[in-house]
Amino acid sequence: MPETLGTMLSDILNSLVHKPVTTNYPAECCDEPIRTRGKVVYNAETCTGCRLCVRDCPANAIDIIILDRKEKRFVMHYHVDRCIFCGQCVESCRFDCITLTDTQWELASTSKNPFDLYYGNDEDVKKVLDKHTEIFDVGT
Amino acid sequence: MKNDLPAMFAILIFPGGLSLLLGGLMFEWIDRKFVARLQNRKGPKWYQPLADVIKSFSKEEIVPAGVNAGLFIGLPIVGVTTALVTGLYVPLFGFAPSHSFAGDLIVVLYFLSVLTLTLGVAGANTMDHFSLIGATRTLTQLFSYEAPFMLALLGPAIVAQSWQINEINVYAQNHTWFLFSQPIGFIIALIGLMGKLELPPFDAPEAETEIVSGALTEYSGRGLGLFHLGQDVEFIIGITLITTFYLGGLANPLEFILKSLGLLLVLTALQTLAARLRIDQTVGLWWRIGALLALIQLIISIAIRKLI
Amino acid sequence: MATVVSASDQSRFIVPIGPQHPALKEPGHFEFTVDGEIITGASARLGYVHRGIEKGAESMNWTQCLYLLERICGICSHIHSIAYCQGLEKLADIEISPKARAMRTLVAELERIHSHMLWWGVAAHEGGFDTLFMYTWRDREIVMDLLETISGNRVNYSVNVIGGVRLDLSPEQVTKIVSGMKKLEERTKHYLEIVTNDSSFLARTRGIGVMTREEAQRLGAVGPTARASNVCRDVRVDAPYAGYHEYPVKIVTDTAGDLKARFVVRIKELFESYRIITNVAQNMPEGELKARRVPRKIPAGNVISRVEAPRGELFYYIESGGGEGPERIKVRTPTLPNWGSVLTMAAGLRLADVPMLLVGIDPCFSCNDRLIRLNPDGKQQTLTWQQLRDRGIEYYR
Ligand code: SF4
Ligand code: SF4
Repeated sequence: MPETLGTMLSDILNSLVHKPVTTNYPAECCDEPIRTRGKVVYNAETCTGCRLCVRDCPANAIDIIILDRKEKRFVMHYHVDRCIFCGQCVESCRFDCITLTDTQWELASTSKNPFDLYYGNDEDVKKVLDKHTEIFDVGT
Repeated sequence: MKNDLPAMFAILIFPGGLSLLLGGLMFEWIDRKFVARLQNRKGPKWYQPLADVIKSFSKEEIVPAGVNAGLFIGLPIVGVTTALVTGLYVPLFGFAPSHSFAGDLIVVLYFLSVLTLTLGVAGANTMDHFSLIGATRTLTQLFSYEAPFMLALLGPAIVAQSWQINEINVYAQNHTWFLFSQPIGFIIALIGLMGKLELPPFDAPEAETEIVSGALTEYSGRGLGLFHLGQDVEFIIGITLITTFYLGGLANPLEFILKSLGLLLVLTALQTLAARLRIDQTVGLWWRIGALLALIQLIISIAIRKLI
Repeated sequence: MATVVSASDQSRFIVPIGPQHPALKEPGHFEFTVDGEIITGASARLGYVHRGIEKGAESMNWTQCLYLLERICGICSHIHSIAYCQGLEKLADIEISPKARAMRTLVAELERIHSHMLWWGVAAHEGGFDTLFMYTWRDREIVMDLLETISGNRVNYSVNVIGGVRLDLSPEQVTKIVSGMKKLEERTKHYLEIVTNDSSFLARTRGIGVMTREEAQRLGAVGPTARASNVCRDVRVDAPYAGYHEYPVKIVTDTAGDLKARFVVRIKELFESYRIITNVAQNMPEGELKARRVPRKIPAGNVISRVEAPRGELFYYIESGGGEGPERIKVRTPTLPNWGSVLTMAAGLRLADVPMLLVGIDPCFSCNDRLIRLNPDGKQQTLTWQQLRDRGIEYYR
């Protein structure tokens, strides 16, 4: 092809008869890919409390609070705002307690509350939370 | 179409003044939207240019240190006013110009350059290095496209034997389009207009990746908004002028819409097709090729007229 | 054209570019001395985005480091983790499976595609050719989507783990990859035509910023920048790693050494990438994804690991004291050796060429900002936090 002007003419003519490829996100949204790495979800039932996930998390985003190892009472304290969604915790856990959801990835929020999550059964979580308040009360 | 509205109304509301400003913003939107579509994007909503201007006006205007404050604030006003004044002499929106006198073509061309000139002076007024370079480039570009652009508009004027825009308009309506009888002139006028409006690829004076915003780098708030408006007005007037001269004149609003939109779309498509020219390339192009071609076109039209 | 002289400095007119400037998407500071539009001198100041990653790595364990180092660069994150994992595997004497090697190669090449396309879009934008910019980025979405389906993320893929890879390809993904590569190949041919034939674009790239072979070698240029000056240097060929033994690449070079050559080399490299990716995806070896046993403590020793990032040679030095984390990690990203070439080439060019010239080496500022302090007299010096703070305040006053 010789040197010419307007080599992109074919492209722009093509665009005239095609819909724009850009979308009005967030008004319209596309499907997330199957392996999307979203929010961490934890299942206390199979956990052994080995805390490998805690040691390997590069962002210090998770903590496993052991209430009773024998009774399998564990609570995971998960800082959503620190997590970098690398998936190492899933990789580290040998008992498949942790998964990353593939639907919850739009996690922006105007308040801090949704970034502080506790996983575990309700009773345990309550206990942990109470303890936290206690410590907090003593501190002040 | 005859325009019998009172002079004040014509200047302030229609077809000059307010409607001219809104028309300019509309043209800017069509330009942006169409560029986006050609690039396979969605592009802005229709109110975006207006929103931009409102935003600029509502912001604080910062007068930087080391400038002549009077000039800094006055120049945008001068620029926008001269641009608006030109609206009185061209058949805007297809209505006959509200004012007209022999030789108004020259006045309009002069006024159109004043906006560019104020831009250049505004840039030179500040201490900022980007502005200084932008100003140099703006003025350099002004001197390069101005002569060919003027010659290109003189072609129809000579054939119509008048220096009055209104008369040329009437002449163009009753004869073959100058687009066909003077094709070279048309191309030069069109590309000259792109240079005048600093549209890509002739946007070296405001090349954002090199000199941020060129001469306007230091401008903010109202000054920026005014210059922005001025450029929009220049946009619509330039297009009207070329449509009047080369596309068979403007007899009524419908013709205006069809012809000027057609021209606008062509102008827009041309913008998307090339990389930005360096300022030395722009100058070279205009003086080496543009001016020469325009002269040839002029000589041909004069010769033909003499023969007939 | 007239020379512009500022009021304050009668002899030199300096155009500062950066740290905040529309031409640069990352902070760096360049000062160009101009005479009218002609550049007479150039200098650079880097370090605005020094993030202390090397120091940070020393306080982490080996696994955590992987993710930290992967985040040195957003665009070539995968190649960083390859370099790191490779080094560790050598230190700990872990053999990784052919499948893991193939997978690493596949993602590395996909990453090269997205990096190169991103680059030439940006470079076109610097030259004021926004249409080319928009279309390249539109087509870049094809490869971004592929990366997303493979790894779940558009950047920072987390494909590598120490001792192998984490993810496998499903048959549907293979089909998707193959058809994606076909589409991209077609488009890339079109783009090659544009950058070699469009006269307005050629006016901005041909003969601009010419670097001869000798100069490129003297200045230590790496990657496509060097290859555009006919320096035959590519780690994938000179010291094959990951899967490049099984899937060899051909080096693409150009003799011109100008900006156009840099475009052409990068675009032609993509054809190689398409070929390799299709080949790997269709002939994926069977086997384990990762090594069975990866020790938490890596034996003491040090290792140098080199890979070919999209921008050129990436260099890792890893030192282990036998513990759970590194003693020292030193990274040299390809942008650093390329800066010299930009500053040398700038003189004599026009100001309008500067953005394209700067971008021509595909710089990545935050990757290359690191701190080295040499004490020529060999004396050691310890600073407390307070002293460091005072220094900082004094420095930026
Ligand atoms: S690694 Fe798994 S089993 Fe161990 S503490 Fe974490 S979640 Fe529980
Ligand atoms: S995804 Fe990564 S950062 Fe997030 S909790 Fe798991 S290991 Fe930590």
